[in-house]
Amino acid sequence: MVKTDGLHFQYPGGEAFDFPNIDLSAKDHLAVLGPSGVGKTTLLHLLSGILPASSGTIFIGNTEITSLDRKALDKFRGSHIGLVFQRYHFVKSLNVEENLQLRQYFPSKLKDKERREAIAERLGLKAHLKKKVTQLSQGQQQRVSIALGLIHKPKVVFADEPTSNLDDVNCERVLGLLKEEAKLCGSSLVIITHDQRVTEHFKNQVVL
Amino acid sequence: MKLGFIAYKNMVSKPLNMVLSLLLLVLSVSLVTFVLQLSKQLNGQMDKNISPVDMVVGAKGSPLQLVLSSVLHIDSPTGNIKLNEAEQIIKHPFVDSAIPVSYGDNYRGYRILGTDPAYFERYEAVLQQGRLYKTTFELVAGSAVALKLGLKIGGKVVSSHGLAAAGGEAHDDKPYTIVGILEPSGTVVDQLLICNLKSVWDAHDHGDGTHGDEEHREDESNLGNEEGNDHTQENERHHDQGDKEHDHTPDDDEHHHEEEHDLHDEEKEITSLLVKFKNPIGLVQLPRFINENTNMQAALPGFEIQRLMGLLGSGVKTLNGIAMAILLVSGFSIFISLLKTIRERRQELALLRTYGLGTRKLLFLVLFEGLFLAFIGFLLGWVLGRLALILVSKYIEAAYGYVLQINGPEFVELLLLGATLLIAIIAVFLASTSIFKLNISKTLGDA
Repeated sequence: MVKTDGLHFQYPGGEAFDFPNIDLSAKDHLAVLGPSGVGKTTLLHLLSGILPASSGTIFIGNTEITSLDRKALDKFRGSHIGLVFQRYHFVKSLNVEENLQLRQYFPSKLKDKERREAIAERLGLKAHLKKKVTQLSQGQQQRVSIALGLIHKPKVVFADEPTSNLDDVNCERVLGLLKEEAKLCGSSLVIITHDQRVTEHFKNQVVL
Repeated sequence: MKLGFIAYKNMVSKPLNMVLSLLLLVLSVSLVTFVLQLSKQLNGQMDKNISPVDMVVGAKGSPLQLVLSSVLHIDSPTGNIKLNEAEQIIKHPFVDSAIPVSYGDNYRGYRILGTDPAYFERYEAVLQQGRLYKTTFELVAGSAVALKLGLKIGGKVVSSHGLAAAGGEAHDDKPYTIVGILEPSGTVVDQLLICNLKSVWDAHDHGDGTHGDEEHREDESNLGNEEGNDHTQENERHHDQGDKEHDHTPDDDEHHHEEEHDLHDEEKEITSLLVKFKNPIGLVQLPRFINENTNMQAALPGFEIQRLMGLLGSGVKTLNGIAMAILLVSGFSIFISLLKTIRERRQELALLRTYGLGTRKLLFLVLFEGLFLAFIGFLLGWVLGRLALILVSKYIEAAYGYVLQINGPEFVELLLLGATLLIAIIAVFLASTSIFKLNISKTLGDA
C-alpha cells in the first residue's frame, strides 16, 4: 500500500535527508521510530504528499504520487490519505460535526451522517458533536483529530506523534483507538513517533 | 458543506472584526445613496413644479424669491402687482396663457391660493372627489393637505392671515367651504388650498382697523422688503384711496358686497402672473421688456432654479466626493481585514489543503467572505441611507410641505453595488496572494 524507493529530501539551503525504503502492505500497520531531528515529520509530509520529494518515488496503492501534478495530488490526498497531526488542527469557526462533515465532503462530496455518528460514538464524541472544537478538552480534541483522520475511509492514515503528550493510560487508549479505527476502515496505518511506548504495539518498525 | 457556509461561519465567528470592516462601507454607501436620492428628488420635484411655468411676473425684488414664492410656494412673495398692468401681459402676442395668482392667507400652515381654474389644467391636477369652486369662499384642497388635515367635502375652514401657521389673525367672519379634493400629483398643488381670486380679494376687503399695528409689524418682518405688498397694506390702500364713498365696518356685510362690486379693476391686485409662452422668442424678449419698461419684474423659474441648484450642486458634489473617498477607504479596510483573517487562519487554510482543497477553492473561500462583507455592508448602508431620507423627509415636510418619496433600489444604486463588490474582489485578490505561496508542510509543522 505504501512503497517508497530512494526517497531523498533536501530543504532549500538546509538539511538533507535520505530515507530507508518502506514497503507496507494494505491494512498493515507501521511505526516509524527515531529521535527528534532525524526528519520524521519530513518523511510524513513527503508520504502524504504535502511536501514534494527531491528525488525518489512514493507509491500509495497503485498511484505514484511523486509523479502527480499539484491539482491531481490535492485530489488524491483529499480522497485517499488521512492525517492525524501532532498539534490538532481544526476549522475553529465550525463545530465538531461540521468539521467532520467538511472532511467528508471534500473532495468526494460524501454526506454520510451514519458514519459520522458511528465514528463519534466509538470515539466517545457523540455528546460533543454540536460543540465548538475549542470548547473540548485536550483528550477530546485528540479524539476529534483521530476521527478527522479516518472519517473519509482513507487508504492510509499517517499519524504524527499521536501519543507524545499523553500519560501511559491515554497512550494505550489512543493507540488502541487508532488501530481499531484503521482496521474498521480498512486503512493502513503509519505512526511516526519517538515514543518508545509505541514500539511494543507494532511489529513492523522502521528506525530512522 | 459548501464553501459559502464555511466563509459565513468564519465571518460570524468574529463579529467584532466584521463590524469594524463593515463600518466604513456602511457609512459611505449610506452617504452616497442618501445624497443621490435627495438631490435627485429635489431636482425632480423642482422640475415638476416649475415646468408648467415659463415666466413669473410679480413685484420687483429678488427673482429667486419670486420663483420660490409664486411657483414653489416656499418663500414669502416680493409684493403685489396691479391686475390691470398684469392684464397687458396676458394679452401680449407672445403669451400663450397667463394665470394670475394671489395669496397671503393660510389654513393651519397650508397656503390658500386664489387663482383661475386654468391653474388646475396647467398642473394637470385632477379632482379626486367633489367639484371645482364655482363662487367665492369655496376651496379645492390638494391631496396632501386634505390627508394631513383630514379635510372633507362640505367642511368649513377659517383662514388666517399670513403664510405661517402661527400668529396670523383669523378671518373668522369669512369661512371657506371645501368643495373638492384633488388627486395626488406629486407637485406643489398637493400642498395648496385653492380658491378663486375674488375670495382672496374679498377676504381682505374689510380693512377697517382690524388689521392693527401689531400685524403690520408682523408683515414687515415677514416680508422684509420695502415694496412690502401684502394684504394689510393692500387693504389700507383700498381704505385710503379707494371707495371714498364707503365707510364700511367689519360686520357690514352688505357694504362689503357693494364694495366688491365697486372695486375697480385698476385697484385689484394680484401677487403674480404665471406665464406660458407661445414660442421661445417670448422667453428671449418678454422678460427684458417687462424688467426694463414696467415696475414689475419677470423671473424665469428654469433659470433661477438652475442657478440655485448650481449652488446646491457643488455641495452635493463635495458630499459625493467625500462619500467616494470613504468608499475607497472602506475597500482598503476590507483588504486589511481579509489580510488579517488570512494570516490568522493560515493553519486552517493549510489544513483545508490537506483535505484536498486546491488553491483556487481557498481563493473562493476568501472571495466569498469578501463579497459577503461587501454585500451586507451595501445592504445596511442602503437601508441606513433610506432611513436618513425618511427623517429628512419628515423635516422637509414639516418645514416646506414637500414630501420625499422612499423608492426601492435604483439603477445608479445597483451600479454602486457593483462598484462595492468590485472593490471587495480587488481587495480579496490583493489579500490572498499569500494563499498561493502557502507552504502546507511548514505551516502545519510549525503550529
